[in-house]
Amino acid sequence: MLKIKSISKHFGGVKALNDLNLEVEEGEIFGVIGPNGSGKSTLINVICGVFLPTKGDVIFEGQILSEKPTHLRLKRGVARTFQNIRLFSNLTVWQNLWVARNSVEDIKSESSFYRWFSMSSIVKKEIEKMLEFSNLENRADELASSLAFGEQRRLELARAVATKPRLLLLDEPAAGMNKDEIRDLDTRIRSMQKQGITIILIEHVMELVMGITDRIAVLNFGSKIAEGNPQEIQNNMAVQEAYLGYSEDD
Amino acid sequence: MDFYLNLINTIGIHTMLGLSAYLLLQTGQLSLAQAGFFAVGSYTAAILTVIFQWNIIPSVLAAMLVSGFLAFLVGFPALRVKGLMLVVATIAFSEFVRMFFYNLKWRVTRNGEEIGPDGTMGFAEIRYFSDNGWSNLEVTFFLWAFVILIMGFIWWSDQSRTGAVLRAVGEDELAASSVGINLTVVKVSAMTAGGFIAGLSGGLYAHQVTSLDHHSFTVLLGTFAIAYPILGGLSNVFGTLVAVIFIQGLLVEGLRFIGDWRMILFGILIVLAMNFKPLGLFDKQTMDIIKKAVRV
Amino acid sequence: MEDFLYEAVEIIQTIWDGILFGSTYALIGIGFTLIFGAMGKLNMAYAAAAIAGAYVGLAVSMFFDAPIIMVFAVSATFSTFMGYLVYQSCFRFIPTNNHLAALMASVGGLFLIDEIIVHTTLGSPMNFPALFEDAYFEIGPFGIRGDLLFVFFIGIVSTVLLLYVLYKTRLGMATRAVAQQDVAAQLCGINIHRTNSITFSIAGFLGGIAGAMTAAAVGILSPVMTVPLTIKGLIVTVIGGLGSIPGAIIAGLFVGAFENFFLYIRGIDERDMYVVGLLFIFLIFRPNGIFSKTINRD
Repeated sequence: MLKIKSISKHFGGVKALNDLNLEVEEGEIFGVIGPNGSGKSTLINVICGVFLPTKGDVIFEGQILSEKPTHLRLKRGVARTFQNIRLFSNLTVWQNLWVARNSVEDIKSESSFYRWFSMSSIVKKEIEKMLEFSNLENRADELASSLAFGEQRRLELARAVATKPRLLLLDEPAAGMNKDEIRDLDTRIRSMQKQGITIILIEHVMELVMGITDRIAVLNFGSKIAEGNPQEIQNNMAVQEAYLGYSEDD
Repeated sequence: MDFYLNLINTIGIHTMLGLSAYLLLQTGQLSLAQAGFFAVGSYTAAILTVIFQWNIIPSVLAAMLVSGFLAFLVGFPALRVKGLMLVVATIAFSEFVRMFFYNLKWRVTRNGEEIGPDGTMGFAEIRYFSDNGWSNLEVTFFLWAFVILIMGFIWWSDQSRTGAVLRAVGEDELAASSVGINLTVVKVSAMTAGGFIAGLSGGLYAHQVTSLDHHSFTVLLGTFAIAYPILGGLSNVFGTLVAVIFIQGLLVEGLRFIGDWRMILFGILIVLAMNFKPLGLFDKQTMDIIKKAVRV
Repeated sequence: MEDFLYEAVEIIQTIWDGILFGSTYALIGIGFTLIFGAMGKLNMAYAAAAIAGAYVGLAVSMFFDAPIIMVFAVSATFSTFMGYLVYQSCFRFIPTNNHLAALMASVGGLFLIDEIIVHTTLGSPMNFPALFEDAYFEIGPFGIRGDLLFVFFIGIVSTVLLLYVLYKTRLGMATRAVAQQDVAAQLCGINIHRTNSITFSIAGFLGGIAGAMTAAAVGILSPVMTVPLTIKGLIVTVIGGLGSIPGAIIAGLFVGAFENFFLYIRGIDERDMYVVGLLFIFLIFRPNGIFSKTINRD
């Protein structure tokens, strides 16, 4: 579904990504791990169009993604979450989700005018579904900034899912979470997979990555140093070296 | 009576001016160009009624379209200028417009007298209302019909997805773009809408004051335009209205008895207001208090 | 041919005078750019504080019949204090990420200072003494006005002093550190509020000198000078690149020359339109100014 073909991204002298090749199959949960600075965030930014690659192509569903504005990539079906949560803090939970419904094309019966100035029952239902998904039904009218950390993470996830993506990039969604929250996140990600969304999970929290992914790629210094299923990766010497000091309950 | 009607008219015009900046400020564009669009609207409408003898309604609507179109053109280069540089660029734009009209001479002789904009002497004799027998009360109602219309439009925007999208763009462009919002469309639309509204209010203003002069269109006006929504808060249309009533009514007119010191008081009040209520006088905090009070 | 030569001389003369006068814009530009560099904000009250300083300098010299150099000294001192005041009242307590509020607060400061000046002077312009106004040097067909030269000279001295403070003192280093990375600077133990208030004070100092310079070069001091000086100062800052001192200097001199040139060929009514036009051209082709700040802070 997604092919990263010989992507390099240079920032001046820094080679953030170096001739990277990856392939993600439709419907799978694909993990990307690696020490800090290995290029994981740059990879997301390149896939989403925040940066254009210095060399190479991002190929999504057979077509090269070359547009720069991120919103056009969203139209193609690629969505993302952010490592440090980027909710619209001065908008309510409802409004955060509502805004995300902006460009979804599946509502053929709605005219543009309706979409901008009114709220059809279809949209209302969709937003309510997302509220249910994130367990925030009774918080709908509260400002996003007043939510607890865990709730904010759930909203961020729901907002991305609300755009009905086919590919979803999660940028360290488990950062700062306790064990219960991680278990909850695990369940959510699985249910998204069941809804037919392909997921790329960038993460440091190993128990999540190892438990949920179908395949993993390991990056270091912008290149791929290993790829395989969780079992293979865990036993891979090169990976352990790269993490220097990495232990299994990290 | 006339004094109060005048005040009400001024409040109406300034409310529209403030609302023209409201949408732009929501998207995070600090634009002092509203004075420029206001000026264009004023001169356009006045030229149409005075020189071309048009009826007031098409003149004012034409003024709206011309300003709106100009704003549309300004909107694109404005995208390239970030943050505080936009402040400088829009100040420069407004000044340019002001100087353009300062130099505009278009005199026409009709019925033995000369009319039309006269360069540095300004543009006097905009007598549509008096020539056509409008009473002062009728002028006020006419003006306020537009004000209410615009307020209604923006109130509607705030309640709908449009308002949320505007504010999302204003808060975080990267996140907004990542959930599918087309930043260019949103920002240029906000600028264009702001231009429409400012042009409309300018056209009405010209006929209300009956004479235009470049002193009316300085950077000061532009700063008033953004001061109203900033003081009133960017989440509520009525905040802007209250800010206008407060500033125009209380300070400019009401404190006349204090004499010239009211402008000093005005300056002090703005500084204090920004320190204590940086999100505007009608931010969520205040609104919650008001809501609770009203419920009790 | 004679006419052409005459025109050419006049034009070069005009441009030269403009460059000398442009040193005032350069100083104002440096002031704006210093503050922008330190806080990422525009201090709209800056030029007003500069003119206020000039007024105080004038008042002191009138009261005490002091030598003219005192005017500059008093002006600079008062504006330094004004800078500190403006920081405390308009910038210190407003959250860093709220640009609107800081902008409006400094606009409020601008109104305030303007009105106070109008009140105390009853709005009428006052004569400002010019140093060396009788001096006039001739080099061939060109003349060099002594008063403009003096003003330019003060500009150079001030700039050199500023650069010395910025680059050779610990205070200056702290200022530059805060300008580049304020969070990291705090983590290194630098007190941001103290540093910023000092930055504003230094900018104020320059402003006071610039205000007195402008008044000396023009010969009059009037409250209507505040807004045009603010606008020209902002234009110079943007053209030079927000945050860049060399940019402000070059842009200031250039705008001075440019403005005077168009004054000569198109007259005072149209002159400012061309300066604005210059800004637009820069915004289209070089939106970050001559020297843009390359370091991005988050």
